[in-house]
Amino acid sequence: MTKNKIRFTPLDAVLIVLMLAAGLFLVRRIGVDLNYRWQWPVTLQYLVRMDGGSWTAGSLAQGFLTTVKLSLWATALATLLGTILGLMRVSHSLFDRLVAGSYVEMVRNLPPLVLVFIVYFFIGDRIMTLLGIEGLIRSASPATQAVLTFLFAPPARLSGFFAGLATLVLYEAAYITEIVRAGIQSIEQGQWEAAHALGLSRRQQLRYVILPQALQRILPALAGQLISTIKDSAIVSVISIPELTFQGLELMSATYLTFEIWITITALYFILTFTFSIGVRRLESSMQTKSSAG
Amino acid sequence: MSADERIIEAREIAKTFPGGVVALDRFTLAVRRGEVVVIIIGPSGSGKSTFLRCLNGLEEIDGGSIVIDGIPLDHHRKNRLLIRQEVGMVFQSFNLFPHMTVRENIDLAQIRVRKKTRTDAAETTMSLLAKVGITEKADRYPHELSGGQQQRVAIARALAMSPKVMLFDEATSALDPEMIGEVLDVMRTLAAEGMTMVVVTHEMGFAREAGDRIVFMENGRIVEEGETERFFAAPREERTHAFLGQIL
Repeated sequence: MTKNKIRFTPLDAVLIVLMLAAGLFLVRRIGVDLNYRWQWPVTLQYLVRMDGGSWTAGSLAQGFLTTVKLSLWATALATLLGTILGLMRVSHSLFDRLVAGSYVEMVRNLPPLVLVFIVYFFIGDRIMTLLGIEGLIRSASPATQAVLTFLFAPPARLSGFFAGLATLVLYEAAYITEIVRAGIQSIEQGQWEAAHALGLSRRQQLRYVILPQALQRILPALAGQLISTIKDSAIVSVISIPELTFQGLELMSATYLTFEIWITITALYFILTFTFSIGVRRLESSMQTKSSAG
Repeated sequence: MSADERIIEAREIAKTFPGGVVALDRFTLAVRRGEVVVIIIGPSGSGKSTFLRCLNGLEEIDGGSIVIDGIPLDHHRKNRLLIRQEVGMVFQSFNLFPHMTVRENIDLAQIRVRKKTRTDAAETTMSLLAKVGITEKADRYPHELSGGQQQRVAIARALAMSPKVMLFDEATSALDPEMIGEVLDVMRTLAAEGMTMVVVTHEMGFAREAGDRIVFMENGRIVEEGETERFFAAPREERTHAFLGQIL
């Protein structure tokens, strides 16, 4: 691939100036015509504030942290589940294909909001209690509780967090399943045959020959889906998990700093997803230089 | 020949593709240890390489039986795996693994299937690369190699399993003319070393020189088979006569 050189022309300069002017105009109009008083210093306090000589995370920063935790876990677990189900989709066993196929169809044809409620009220509320998991957590040693808090959420919010996490994992895994299936099916038949003729078992054929090539092909699609996971994590705010969107809603009803809060939240989501995209792009190009499949 | 001498025994195998094309029609062929059998196919040859693909289980046969080195190719997983490990195959389109270097391509099955140590595998790999004449490309990726080089690596990869039989499925058909020679040279060397080979090819020169026996096939049946010299000098069937007259 040849890289197109980016050239900065006078036209670009004009466009940038125009866009800046439009932005400034909008901000001013909001201040003057809507009589909106911008209160950035107050808003930023909800991000970080000086508290008795040390910096403390405000509610927005805590929400951000919860979103990060939720996204990381959901991404990792959804990729794992999606890969397993994707392998089942191309399995020789009809049973495997049926199970994975029905799963994908069911989840993809359900509004995610409904899925959140199903998981929250059935799994979070009933099954966790039924299995005595909540009691188990409450009676755990302080050290265990500290680890759980660090990895997931404080003990009191743990079952809600797990319900939210489970929803995200179940939802995203259905899409990752299809990505993995398409990736595996895109590998030429000859690759399977060559591995077969060398006496590799089916498991070995997948592990050493098919999956490494499939992974390289599906990386862009997978990255897109994982960024979706971060964005979709906002939906679990409806079951009161104190992630970024939920914290924003709470804060807004308490302070009415609508514009500042949502602009801040937009920026925070963008930072998270954009960092992720850059990381994936790096990974992709490093894989490409290793072997450009011919 | 006695049962002991036969390394491949295919009896009345039948294969019909879903579209109704009959690829093999009660096809029977036995191959002796160390024999080089060249299968040539008539112009209307359907199911060209189906026979080879049936021999190592890449295609399921609809009827008949295949026994390789005393192991029946049946529905027992173990038998099928064992046969695949004893039978090497070289494809028309090379099918090297593009995400692995030449060395890794050849190491893979030695380490994962034969359970050799990395040092042992590396030693075998280098000696095989020397045999096919491309030691200097060991750390290159397949796409950096010419077609002829890729096919020689594919032969080395199959040999790394120390197979008892080698199948060549139109191994030179996808190559530019100037590269065919280098691949045929490797195949001739193998034949001279006593490797049992079943070769599907259009290369009459190679068939004449390296083949012990020629099988002329058309529409899933054997039209004629015989010792190489006799086959080319005095074909018995009219169909063979016409075919040879056209291409020689």
